[in-house]
Amino acid sequence: MLAYVAKRLALAVGTVLSAVVIVFLLVHASDTTPGAVRAGAGATAEQVAAENEALGWNRPLWVQFTDYVGQLVQGDLGTSLVDGRDIAADMADRLPVTASIALFATLLSGLVGVFLGVTAAVRGGRLGRLITTGSGVALSLPAFWVGILFVYLLSLQLGWFPATGYTEFSSDPLGWATSIAIPVLTLAVGGAAIIARTAAAGMREALTQEHIRTLRAMGTPRWRIRYVHALRYASVPVVSTLGIQFIALFGGSVIIENLFALPGLGQASQVAASSSDFPALVGVVVVATVVVVVTNLLLDLVVAALDPKVRTP
Amino acid sequence: MTTAPAGATALSATVRVPALEIRDLVVRYGSGRKARQAPPAIDRVSFDIAPGETVGLVGESGSGKSTIGKAVLGLQPPTSGTVKLHGQDITAMSLKQRSRLVADLRVVFQDPYSSLNPARTIGQTLVEPLRLMGVKGPEALQKARAGLESVGLPADAVDRYPSQFSGGQRQRIAIARALVCDPKVVVLDEPVSALDLSTQAQVLNLLADLRDQRGLAFLFIAHDLGVVRFLSQRTVVLYRGQVMETGPVEAVSRAPRHPYTVALTAAAPVPRPAEQAARRAAREAAGFGTAGAAAPSATGCPFVPRCPLATDVCVTERPPLRLVEGTEAACHHAERVPAL
Amino acid sequence: MSVLPLDAADEVATEPVPPARRRRGLPGFLRRPGGVFGAAWLTFVIVASLTASLWRPFEPGQQDTANRLALPSAEHWLGTDPLGRDLLSRIFSAGSLPLLSSALMLVVAFGIGLPLALIAAERGRRVERVISRVTEVFLALPATILLLALIGVIGNRLYPVMAVLGVLISAAVYRVLLGVAQSVRQRLYVDAARVNGLGSLRVNLVHVLPSMATVVAVQAAQLFGIGLLIVAGLAFLGFGPGEPEPSWGFMIQDASGYIYTSPWLMVPTGLVLALTVVAANELADALAGKAAAARGTGRRRRPLRRAVAAAAVPAGAPADPAAVLEVRDLTVSVDDGPDLVTGVSFSLRKGEVLGLVGESGCGKTMTARSLMGLLPDGVSVTGGSIRWRGRELAGLSEAEIDRVRGREIAMISQEPMVALDPMFSIATQLVGPIRRFRGVGRSEAKRIAAELLRNVGIVDAQRVLKSYPHQLSGGMAQRVCIALALTGEPELLVADEPTTALDVTVQAEILSLLRALVRDTGLSVVIVSHDLGVVADICDSVAVMYAGEVVEAGTAAAVLDEPAHPYTMALLGANPHVPEGEPVPERLASIAGTVPPPGSWPTGCRFATRCRFVQEKCTVPFPVLPAHGEGSVLCTRVDELSREHAVWEPEHAGDEIASPLAPPAPVAGVSS
Repeated sequence: MLAYVAKRLALAVGTVLSAVVIVFLLVHASDTTPGAVRAGAGATAEQVAAENEALGWNRPLWVQFTDYVGQLVQGDLGTSLVDGRDIAADMADRLPVTASIALFATLLSGLVGVFLGVTAAVRGGRLGRLITTGSGVALSLPAFWVGILFVYLLSLQLGWFPATGYTEFSSDPLGWATSIAIPVLTLAVGGAAIIARTAAAGMREALTQEHIRTLRAMGTPRWRIRYVHALRYASVPVVSTLGIQFIALFGGSVIIENLFALPGLGQASQVAASSSDFPALVGVVVVATVVVVVTNLLLDLVVAALDPKVRTP
Repeated sequence: MTTAPAGATALSATVRVPALEIRDLVVRYGSGRKARQAPPAIDRVSFDIAPGETVGLVGESGSGKSTIGKAVLGLQPPTSGTVKLHGQDITAMSLKQRSRLVADLRVVFQDPYSSLNPARTIGQTLVEPLRLMGVKGPEALQKARAGLESVGLPADAVDRYPSQFSGGQRQRIAIARALVCDPKVVVLDEPVSALDLSTQAQVLNLLADLRDQRGLAFLFIAHDLGVVRFLSQRTVVLYRGQVMETGPVEAVSRAPRHPYTVALTAAAPVPRPAEQAARRAAREAAGFGTAGAAAPSATGCPFVPRCPLATDVCVTERPPLRLVEGTEAACHHAERVPAL
Repeated sequence: MSVLPLDAADEVATEPVPPARRRRGLPGFLRRPGGVFGAAWLTFVIVASLTASLWRPFEPGQQDTANRLALPSAEHWLGTDPLGRDLLSRIFSAGSLPLLSSALMLVVAFGIGLPLALIAAERGRRVERVISRVTEVFLALPATILLLALIGVIGNRLYPVMAVLGVLISAAVYRVLLGVAQSVRQRLYVDAARVNGLGSLRVNLVHVLPSMATVVAVQAAQLFGIGLLIVAGLAFLGFGPGEPEPSWGFMIQDASGYIYTSPWLMVPTGLVLALTVVAANELADALAGKAAAARGTGRRRRPLRRAVAAAAVPAGAPADPAAVLEVRDLTVSVDDGPDLVTGVSFSLRKGEVLGLVGESGCGKTMTARSLMGLLPDGVSVTGGSIRWRGRELAGLSEAEIDRVRGREIAMISQEPMVALDPMFSIATQLVGPIRRFRGVGRSEAKRIAAELLRNVGIVDAQRVLKSYPHQLSGGMAQRVCIALALTGEPELLVADEPTTALDVTVQAEILSLLRALVRDTGLSVVIVSHDLGVVADICDSVAVMYAGEVVEAGTAAAVLDEPAHPYTMALLGANPHVPEGEPVPERLASIAGTVPPPGSWPTGCRFATRCRFVQEKCTVPFPVLPAHGEGSVLCTRVDELSREHAVWEPEHAGDEIASPLAPPAPVAGVSS
C-alpha cells in the first residue's frame, strides 16, 4: 500500500515537473522575449536587451529552470511582466472562483446525470430512448453557445440571475450564488449528459451480470437489486467519469470565464496568452496541473474505496 | 494401442531421435523480485515424444500444461531448459526463424470460436501458412481444398466464413490449418474441451485417423484423463508445474503410482451408476485433502497439503521421478499408494 | 471546450464483421437513423464548406449596409450580421478551417496513439508500462490551458496548435486502443498466425487492425466533434483567424453582443456548429451500435400470454402423490419465435435428485430456469404446468414468484466466480438474505452465515466471510453459492451445470457436498449437466433431453445401464471413459452432424436425421412410450431395437476421413 502511494506521488510530481518543462521550453522557443514584453511596444533593441539581462533571460536554460523550480517549491511563481503583480497571490485569488464553478458543475452533473442515466437504463422504452438521444445532443452543444442561450433565457427574459460578473462570497453570499448560477448550469449541461450516458451504460451492463441473476433467484426485492447492487456496480465508471469531468470543466472554464467575465484561472490564462505574459502563463499551467494531479489522486482513493478488486489483493 | 505405426514407433523411440525433446523446462511469469520468489509456472519438466507417438499432458487448471504447449510453440519464452525438434534446439528461436526452419510444428487450440479470424474466409485462413512456406496461388488453394476434405469437410468451404460453421466444424478447420503444411508434430491444446460429447467423439476419432494415416506425433494437452487415455500412448501428469507421474497411458490409468494421479483418476466420474458408487466410496475412504486448502511448501512435494500419505520427508525433500512398477512417479511413498 | 471521455469504446463489439455480411446491404451504422443523419450532415457540411467559394451568394466580407442584422429573407437566406454581411456565405466560408484542422488533429492523434497501442500490446508488459506511464503524464496535463500557453508563444496559428492538441490527445487514444489491441491479441487466431510464422507487421495488419477498425472509427468520429468544439472555442476567445475572416467561434462571440437586440444572430452559426458536432457524435454512436443498447432492458416485463395453461393437467397423467414438483407438458418459446422446449414432463419427490442431461442447445437449461421464472428476456413459458407442492408456478406474477424464490426454490449456477456480487463481501451477501428469510438480527445472522459456511465444508469460515468474491477459488466460490442458496432453507435446489467450470477433483468434492445436503436435509435437486458421469454419480433419476424434448427418462441406473433410446446409447458410446476391465476402444461412437437448432426440428422423431436406426415410420409423429418402470422413452422403434439388441457401435478406424460430412448448415444463435 505504502509502495503504491509512493508510486502515485512520484508520478504526480513527475507530471507537474513535465508540465513545467514543456511550458519552459515553449516560452524559450518563442520569437518574443520577456524583455520585449516588459519594455512594451516601441522599445529599442537596447532597452529590450537590458530588460532581458535584468530578468536573467540570457543565463543558461538549466540555470533558469532550476532557479524556477527552486522558487516553485517555496510557493513563489514570480511576478507578471505586464503589471508586476505577484503571480502566486493572483492565482490564490483566482483559484477559488474556477474551483467552485467546476466543483458545483460537477456535483450538479453527477446528480442530474445519475438520475437520468439510471432512469434510462431501468425504465427503457421510449423514455430511455429520449434520454439517450437528448444526452447525445446535449453533450455536443458548444458550452459558449449554451451559455449565451441561458443568459438570454434566465437573465434577459426571466431576470433570475445576473448575466455576467462575479460577487465575492465574503461580501454577499447570495449574490455570489446567483453570480455563478448561470456558469454552473452552462457547464452542467454537457457534464450531466456525459454522466447520464455513463450511468445508463453502467447500469445496463450491471443488470445483465450473472450475479444479478443470483440475486433474482434469491427473491431479492427489485429496488434492492437495482439501487443497491446494480448501482454500486455502475458506480465505479460513473465516479471515474465524474473525476474526468471535473478536470475537463476546470479546463473548460477558460471560455465560461471569458463569457461571464469571471475573475478565474481561465481568464488569467487567456489574458496571459494574449499579452505573452510568460511568468503568468507558466504559473497558470503549474496550478492547473497541480489541480489535475490532486484530483486524480483523490479519484484513485475513491475508486479504491468503491471497488474491492482495487482495494484488496 | 493397437494401431500399427504407434506400436512400431513406441518400440524404436529409444534409438531414434525424438520428434520433440523437452529437457528441464522452467517458465517463470513476470519479472522482478516478487516473480523470482514465487514458484515457477513450470518447474524442471522433461519428457520426449517419439515420431508418430502421442503423449498426453494431463493436469487441472494451474498445472501449467498449456504453458508447456506455449513454450514448445515459442509463444512463451522459457526461463531455462531446452526444447528440441528432431534433435534441433529451437528453444531460443524466434517465431519468424521457426517458420523457415521448422515448418513441421503446428498447433490446434481449445476454443474453436476465437482460433479462426472471423473476418477471413476459410480459404484465406488455410492459405496463410502455405504462402509463408512458399506455396502460392492456385496450388495453395488446391492444397487448402484437399486439406478440408481430409478433415471431413467439403472443399467448397474455402469461400465461407467461420461464422457459418458449428463448433465441431470449426475445430475441423483448425485441424486442417495445422495439417495443411504436412507437419510432423502437432500441439493439441485441449482441442475437444469446448465441444459437446458427440462432436468431441467425432473430433477425437478424426485425430486418431489422421495420426494413424500420417504418422503424426501429438503433444495432447487435456484435463480429462479419459480423453487422454483414448488418444495417447504415454501420459505426463502435471501438478503445480511439476511432473507427478509419467509412463505408458494404460499403466498410469489402471495402476497409478502417485497419490495425485490416484486422486485425479478417482475423481473423474464414470457413466455407470453402480461402478461410480464404488469409485466414490473408495475415493472418499482414501481421504484426499480439499483442493487449494493450503499452500504447499517450497522445498517439498507440491501435493503434500492434500496427500493422505504425506510424511515429514515429503515436506522437506522434493521427490525425484523414479521407476515404480512400469510408471515413473515422483513420490517418496509410491510403493504404498493404494490401488484404485 | 471540455475533452469528453472516450466512452463509446467500452461497448463496441470488436468482432470484425465478415465482409460477406457487409456487402449484403448497407453498412450496419447506416441502418440506424442517427448514423444516417450523422453521415449525411457531415458530408453536407464538408462538401458545402470546401466548395463554398464556388457557390456562395456573397463574398464573406461583402457588406450590405442597408441590411444590417437582417432576419432571413429571399436575398439573405440566413440573415445578415451587424455589418450586413451574408450569414450563409460566412458560415460556410468559415467551415473549412475547423473541419481541416480537426482532421489534422485526428491524423496526429491516431498517427501516434495507434502505433503505440499496437507496439505496447505486442511487446508485453515492460514496454507497455513505459509507454503507459508517459501517456498518463500527458493525460494529466491541462490541455486547454497548455494550448493557450502555446498560442501565447507561437501566436494564432491554428494548424500547429491543433497538431499539438493531437499529440496531447494521442495519449487518450492510446489508452482506449491499448485495451482493445490487448484483447484482440489474446484471440487464438493471432497466436495461430504467429505459430505459422507470420511476421509482426503482417500479424498486426491482417489480424489485429481489422478487429480494431470499429473502435478506431468510433473514436475518430467522437474526437472530430471535440476538435470542432475546440477550434470554435479558441476562435470565440479571439484566438482564431482575425477579422474580417469569418470563423464560427468569433461569429458566436459577435452575436453574444447583440443578444438584447437581435437574438436571431445566435441561431444560424450556433445551429450549424452544434449540428455538426451532434452529427459526429451520432455517427460514433451508430458505429458503436449503441442505439441498440437504448432499446431498454425491459427485463422485468412479462409477456401476458405466459399466464396460460395452468389448471389443465392433462387427463390420464399419472399424478404422483408423493411428488413435490410435477412438470407437465412444459413448453418454452421465444416470443414470436420458435419453441425452445416442448412437452417436457417430469416429477420429483422429496429428497430426490433428478438429472436433466443432454448436449448444448437441447433446452435443459431453459427447462431448469423456467422452474424459477428466470427465463431470459424475450423467452417465456407458453404452455404446460409447473406444479410445486400443489401450487401452480407457471403464470405467476413476478411478485408472486419472488416469494417462492430463495425461500422454497433456490438456484446455483454454472459460473460460481461471477455468480456472487463482486462489490460486496461474502458476509454482506449472506447476512442480507438470512435476515430477510429468517427475520433475525444482524449479529445472529452473522452467526448463521458462519454456520452455513461450515456446513458447506468451509473450515475457515470467518476469513471467508471477510473476503470478496475475487479472492476465492472456483471451488470455494461454488461452496459459498451453495451456502447462499441454503439461507432461505429451500426445499428444492435447481443446479445448472454446477461443476462444469470446476476442476475434476473439485467437482468430486462439490458433488459429495450436494449428496450430503440431500441426505441430511431432504432437499430435492434438479441438476442440469452434459456429463453422464456426473449424472451417474449423484442422480436418482434422469431425463435425457434432445432438441427441446425428453427422449428418455427413468432411474439413473436403468437409463445409463440399459439405454433404450438410440440417442442415449450414442451419448454413452461417445463417452471416452472406459468401464473397468474393458479395453480402450480404438474409436469412439459418434453422432454425425449437430443438434438441429430450434425452429428447424424435423417432424416425427427429432433425432431421426442423425439416427443410425432411422426408418420411414420415424418421420411421422408418435406417442411417448412407457419404459424403465415409471420412466418413458420417445422412440417408435424401441421394441424392435430391444429385440435386436441394437448397439450404437463405435466407428471404424479411418471412417472419419473416408466419409466427408454433409455440407455444413448455418448455425442458429439460440442455445440453452
